[in-house]
Amino acid sequence: MPKIAIDPITRIEGHLRIEAQVEGGKVTDAWSAGTMWRGIELIVRNRDPREVWAFLSRI
Amino acid sequence: MHEDGVVKALYERGVSRRDFLKFCTTMAATLALPSSLIPKIAEALDKKMKPVVLWLELSDCAGDSESMLRATKPTIAEIVLDVISLEYHETIMVPAGKAAEKSKMDVVKNLKGKYIAIVEGAIPTKDGGIYCTIGGHSALDIAREVCGHAMATLAVGSCASWGGVASASPNPTGCVGVKEAVPNATVVNLPGCPVNVENITATIVHFLTFGSLPALDARLRPLFGYGKRIHDNCERRMHFDAGQFVRKWGDEGHRLGWCLYEMGCKGPEAYYNCPTVKYNAGTSWPVQAGHPCLACASNNNWDVMGSIYTRLPNVPGASYQATADKIGLGLAALTGAGIAAHAIVRGIKGRGPKEPVPIQDEEPERRKKDAENRD
Repeated sequence: MPKIAIDPITRIEGHLRIEAQVEGGKVTDAWSAGTMWRGIELIVRNRDPREVWAFLSRI
Repeated sequence: MHEDGVVKALYERGVSRRDFLKFCTTMAATLALPSSLIPKIAEALDKKMKPVVLWLELSDCAGDSESMLRATKPTIAEIVLDVISLEYHETIMVPAGKAAEKSKMDVVKNLKGKYIAIVEGAIPTKDGGIYCTIGGHSALDIAREVCGHAMATLAVGSCASWGGVASASPNPTGCVGVKEAVPNATVVNLPGCPVNVENITATIVHFLTFGSLPALDARLRPLFGYGKRIHDNCERRMHFDAGQFVRKWGDEGHRLGWCLYEMGCKGPEAYYNCPTVKYNAGTSWPVQAGHPCLACASNNNWDVMGSIYTRLPNVPGASYQATADKIGLGLAALTGAGIAAHAIVRGIKGRGPKEPVPIQDEEPERRKKDAENRD
């Protein structure tokens, strides 16, 4: 049975990949993946808490 | 007005010729061109010449796209959509998946060396570039393919210019800007977080009018946008010179719009046309809104300037006389001498940092030198 992948999903912010298992014209299973990671969580570690908003607002 | 030109197309959308000329005037001002060149800009834009543009989003937050979409009549978007042909932009395009990738690759194949690439977002290079993939290809491979074959690449925003927030220490994904990732590409850097859309448009308008990219500095930034220091064009500069500083959020100085230097403003180290062009169609910019400048357009601003709210040390010209009325005239005379008086005042008032960062007042020295030069 065919497995289809739509990558990139457009008209959204960020990068998204959707894979779907199709059986008899019906989707029987599906997977999603965000395909971008910058590690902002690691970047803000040990920084002045007052400035963390400036990093997080850029996610 | 050309039958199939931009002016007519805009007119049909309700943008008058007057609005169009106003736009041309703004562009001339942004590019620091004399007003005698406004007709030339108008003429160039009115030709049926639509350069094909591919807008890539890599390790980004879409902030620069948002910036592009914010403008008033005649909207920059209207002008840009009529002046250029935007063939690929993930956030606003209709095709998805393989159809989207085909739009992109058709341009790269058929218009090699003739299209403009606009890149938003940094390029992760660590671990083979796995931290940003689109259509199964890494951002690094896409940038090499698209920017490597473009006539020119505009790196919009700080991330595409030098890595931006994604490259802040410890830079977990090894993010770099376009020029570092694709050294053979012709790149114009337009840093800013987000980029100011006026600077993107002005760069394109310059290209359409003169057939060349604007003059760039050593960091590949157009001089028209990045040649002047924020501090020198700041609307609060007179308060800096007068020693009137905000010392606490919401204090009287803050309410009166005094200088934000003490609150951590990086304006004295930042080069950008923020104070003159402003954001949201010329409405405001951070300092006008009462927040210190982050130096968002300066390389590695997240790591080399201290925290956003840490005062920059050793900025020439800082003087302190704000408390003269309370301390007395004798002390007021001393304040001109700079930090010595500042420390005393702060000591007497019993607030502020215990060990103030020394600030050198070079103003009297400079005035003396200026006077000598005049003689």
